[in-house]
Amino acid sequence: MFLALKEIKHEKLRYGLIIAMIVLISYLIFILTSLALGLARQNTTAIDSWGIDRIALNQDANVNMSQSLLTKQQVPTKLSRHEAYLGQVPVVAKASGYTKTSAQFIGLDAHQFIAKNMQLVTGHKPTTNQEIVVDTAFQNAGYHLGQWIHLNSYGQRFKIVGFVKDAKINIAPIVYGSLTAWRNLKNVGPNLIASAIVSQNGHFTQKNDQLRYYSTDTFISKLPGYSAQNTTFTFMIAFLMIISLIVIAVFLYILTVQKLQNYAVLRAQGIPAKTLIGATIGQAVILVVSGLIIGTLLTAITAFGMPASVPMTFDIPILSAVAAGLVVTGVIGSLFPIRMILRVDPVSVIGG
Amino acid sequence: MSAIQLTNINKFFGQKSSRVHVLHDINFTAEAGQLSLVIGPSGSGKSTFLTIAGGLQTPNSGSVNLDQQPLYDLSAKQRDALRLNKIGFILQAYNLVPYLTVREQFGLADRVKKQGNLTVAQLDALLHQLGIAEFQQKYPAELSGGQKQRVAIARALYTNPDIVLADEPTAALDSTRVKEVGQLLADLAKTQNKAIVVVTHDLRLRDYADQVYEIMDGKISKTA
Repeated sequence: MFLALKEIKHEKLRYGLIIAMIVLISYLIFILTSLALGLARQNTTAIDSWGIDRIALNQDANVNMSQSLLTKQQVPTKLSRHEAYLGQVPVVAKASGYTKTSAQFIGLDAHQFIAKNMQLVTGHKPTTNQEIVVDTAFQNAGYHLGQWIHLNSYGQRFKIVGFVKDAKINIAPIVYGSLTAWRNLKNVGPNLIASAIVSQNGHFTQKNDQLRYYSTDTFISKLPGYSAQNTTFTFMIAFLMIISLIVIAVFLYILTVQKLQNYAVLRAQGIPAKTLIGATIGQAVILVVSGLIIGTLLTAITAFGMPASVPMTFDIPILSAVAAGLVVTGVIGSLFPIRMILRVDPVSVIGG
Repeated sequence: MSAIQLTNINKFFGQKSSRVHVLHDINFTAEAGQLSLVIGPSGSGKSTFLTIAGGLQTPNSGSVNLDQQPLYDLSAKQRDALRLNKIGFILQAYNLVPYLTVREQFGLADRVKKQGNLTVAQLDALLHQLGIAEFQQKYPAELSGGQKQRVAIARALYTNPDIVLADEPTAALDSTRVKEVGQLLADLAKTQNKAIVVVTHDLRLRDYADQVYEIMDGKISKTA
């Protein structure tokens, strides 16, 4: 570490540029990770808030709740307190003076656990078929309690009676209402009960050939675009990690080549190779950690200044794991020049 | 008792038809308290001689003894430790670590060899003796060639070695500095009881040596 610190202190510009490169890479990785997490969360926050373990859909729905319809004949006559009906239909919310907002309407039975467990930020739960509770994204867009809005081209208006946080599915904000309102918006008859049955019981099942049961994880992974989006972000982050590994390895390789003459002298004097290897690895750790600290500060400043509408989640444990991954990457990068250090020939500096 | 003794050393480079016999049956002895000079032109084998004497290059035959201990019976790691403890190198191109100040050049040895190095007072005395005490906070790039060479000498002596091996220590120095370095090495050998071996083509150093060897085409002979 002595050699590593002394060299960095003496060659401020050279090492400053390398640290700047690592700052940019780590900043980009942090922002992309936060964006990936934010988007992933916006796909699933509502599902997470429901606390369900299993979902039953129509067998022809292709694991898509908005395409699923369950008839009276397909569902049990009575559900336990661990099950609930959900009716999903995409809607466009409109109110005069406001921009149109694409949303997902989720019809609930007020007596079942999802409606009962709903945590409101403000207002109250719907008590009539014309009352709705909406995601706080509507509040951020200027909607307020008591406001009447239109959903799709349905003739009657709905009154916002409450706001609920983190109510998003597939990145769209949710409008919670009654199952009757769902049937009206979906334009289906009373024979259709819901889109899905959700359960807190991981083994929930019914004797009906037309229902298919999925775990929550499977259901989430089949949300439209969810897996493709996450895979894309994972690849982007992985490639950035690989790029950072290459950048660190190339820089340290070049720096080591430039120092081989000095290393040969030190080896001639009997300085063990492990001291020189320790200096190289130490240098990589110092560079990466310094870059990460600055990158983290930049990310924190970005998080502070980022508008609420940008779907970013700064999850400290996950970002810490990413940072640890970058340190490991830096150490791996520093291992490439070590072969050169081990093979440095002290004889090369004797004889002019 | 000899500090360093080379007996019947032979060294070849290359293989088969391109094989070159670089050192022929070299016999050499250096005593503590003596400045020994090995003089020869470029290509005579004097650098190979020095690397074998310093445990950096294995001879094809023959033996090297340091304080009666066969050097090439030791492992590479043990030879590293021996070099650190018993041998100091002074190199032609100084090869000071560019990002360490003069003072820090010695600190590196402290981190590897915890005991037996010069004390602070001894180092200060040495730096004064070498005339570089005022340059302790300077980097190598801020020193002249003569000053760098003196720092390299101080670095070689800092670990308090019994043997100092010098490779063309005056190659980059003017006549005045050659005299200074020659006298300095002779004085250090006497006052600190070191065995100092200098390989050089600089005949001006003969005046300071206790014994002079000539090396020519890989063959060594002691001169009067």
